[in-house]
Amino acid sequence: MIAQEVVTATPREGKFNKNAARRVRVAGKIPAVVYGAAEPSVAIAVDPKQIQRILHSESGHNSIFDLEIAGSPAKTKAMIVDWQYEPIKGTLMHIDLKRIALDKAIRVEVPIQLTGTPVGVKTQGGILDQVLREVEIECLPGDIPSHIDVDVSNLAFGDVLRVADLPHTGSLKFVSDENSTVAHVIAVKEEAAPAAEAAAAPAEPEVVKKGKQETAEAPADKGGKK
Amino acid sequence: MLMPKKVKFRKQQRGRMCGKAWRGSELSFGDYGLKVMECGYITDRQIEASRVAMTRFIKRGGKIWLRLFPDKPVTKKPAETRMGKGKGAPDHWVAVVRPGKVLFEMEGVTPEMAQEAMRLAAHKLPLKTKFVQRHDVKVTVAAK
Repeated sequence: MIAQEVVTATPREGKFNKNAARRVRVAGKIPAVVYGAAEPSVAIAVDPKQIQRILHSESGHNSIFDLEIAGSPAKTKAMIVDWQYEPIKGTLMHIDLKRIALDKAIRVEVPIQLTGTPVGVKTQGGILDQVLREVEIECLPGDIPSHIDVDVSNLAFGDVLRVADLPHTGSLKFVSDENSTVAHVIAVKEEAAPAAEAAAAPAEPEVVKKGKQETAEAPADKGGKK
Repeated sequence: MLMPKKVKFRKQQRGRMCGKAWRGSELSFGDYGLKVMECGYITDRQIEASRVAMTRFIKRGGKIWLRLFPDKPVTKKPAETRMGKGKGAPDHWVAVVRPGKVLFEMEGVTPEMAQEAMRLAAHKLPLKTKFVQRHDVKVTVAAK
C-alpha cells in the first residue's frame, strides 16, 4: 500500500560502529540503512516516532513512502524491510529501508486476519489455533494488500485452513508453500493427573557416556581378522 | 516437573547472567505474553506452578506456550555437612533467564482474561515481569 508519508533522513558520516550508533540514538534518532534498486547503500539517521507510526499503521511494514535524504536532489520510494527492537524498553534500535521500483514485482509478507467464530469453537468445543500469521506473496508494489481477511465461520473441528484456501486476486501470487497450515480447530488438552506423572518421572536424567560406544559387532570383526 | 531426558554432565558451574535476551524477546506464537524484566533463575517448580495457575484460570478457553525450559542443574549439599568433600548432589533444575525474555505466551482468550492469567502466573515467579501483547491484537480477538 502506498502511503502519503514523507520520511526525512539525514546521512550519517564518519564511523559506523557501536559508539557512533549510540550517539545517533542519544540525539533522538535511530540509525538506518537504505539500499536496493541497483544503487549503493547509504547510512542514514531517521526519526523513530515517524517509523513507529508507519509500522503501526494499517498497512504496517508494507507501507511504501517517500524517502527524502538531506543533500540528495530527488525523493525515492522506500519500504521498511527489517527492524530491531530493544528487548526491555521496546524502543526501535535500527531499521533497514529498501528502495522500491513501482513497476517491478516484489516479495512481501502480508498479515492474515481471521474473521468470524468457527463452528468447531461454537458447537464442538475446540479452540481456534492460528499457526501462520503472515504469508509471503509476490506482486507489484501498488497491489500489496494491507491484510488478507479470511472467514473461518465454516471451519469445523479437525478442519484445516491452508494457504491455498486464502482468498486472493490474480494480481498476487503466493510464495509460501500452498499446503502450509494457516489455522485449524484443535481439541483442548485436559490437565493430566499430577500424581501419576510424578510417579513416572525419573529422579535424574540419563548421562551420556564418554568415549566410543562399543557395539556387539566390533569384537566379532576383530576375531574374524585374526 | 520439567527436566532434560539426557545430559552430557550431571553437574554444572553457575556461569554469568550478563546482557539482555536478544533472542526470544518477541511474541512468536500467541497474542499475549509475559516478559521478564530482570535476570535470574526460574526453577522447574516455579514454571509448573505458573503453568497450572494460568491453565486453571483460563479453564478450557485458550492455548498456552512455555518458552523456557529448566536445563541447568543446581546442586545442594545435605544439611549439617562440613565444607569440602566435593560438590553436592543435583537438587533441582533451573532455567536461566535474561531481561527481555518472553516466558509464556497465550492465545484464544480476551485481553483482560490473558492479563489476569499472566498476573497469577507472575506471582509464582521470583522476578519482575511485564504483560505484553501484539499491537494489532484487538482485531484478532474480535474475530474469535
